[in-house]
Amino acid sequence: MKEIIAIIRPRKVGPTRNALEQLGFPSMTATAVTGRGLQRGIAGEVNMDCPPELLATNKPGGMKYVPKRLLSIVVQNSDVETVVKTIIEVNQTAQIGDGKIFVCPLDNAVRVRTDERGESAVL
Amino acid sequence: MKMIRAILRPETAEGIAEALADAGFVSMTQVHVFGRGKQKGITVGTIRYEELPKTMILMVVEDKNVDDVIDLIKDRAYTGNFGDGKIFVSPVETAYTVRTGAKGL
Repeated sequence: MKEIIAIIRPRKVGPTRNALEQLGFPSMTATAVTGRGLQRGIAGEVNMDCPPELLATNKPGGMKYVPKRLLSIVVQNSDVETVVKTIIEVNQTAQIGDGKIFVCPLDNAVRVRTDERGESAVL
Repeated sequence: MKMIRAILRPETAEGIAEALADAGFVSMTQVHVFGRGKQKGITVGTIRYEELPKTMILMVVEDKNVDDVIDLIKDRAYTGNFGDGKIFVSPVETAYTVRTGAKGL
């Protein structure tokens, strides 16, 4: 079992969910998070005139943290490649801020309703 | 690679994020969470608060940087009172950048 943690754009959750559902991975958990990457949030991406009194305060402004969605998907070892590939394909916009995917090992899983353990508890 | 999950006081989180950025660990995710520890929340007067607001900082770093990051967080998060928080470190096998599809941080 592996846990796939994907941090993606909020608007891409729907398409990602649909694409994974088509492949037979309907289950996932989504959390609203904020974050930043190597670019330190969004700074100077919006083009507009700043009033001089605002510039005089010497506060750079911008957006320190960008809203994202964190998806957590638990799959069998053999399905990791497929899911990661699908998420990358759906979420690519060629612009900075598309997100990151982390694959983490998982020891055990329990289905609460039936008390199943291990691999059979995942889907 | 390791994932570091630090559950901290919300008021210290901003300073820690800035300190981490200055030290070169810019990428991170912030989640506002609620939780409690061994003390089962806090009692103020006659009112018991079962769960307290915390901020969780989630970041993935290379193995060799784990100790640096933990030291940095510990240093900034310390007040000496209950509720300073916890740091968890868990393994990460692979990381992908969605924009390029490349492996690694």
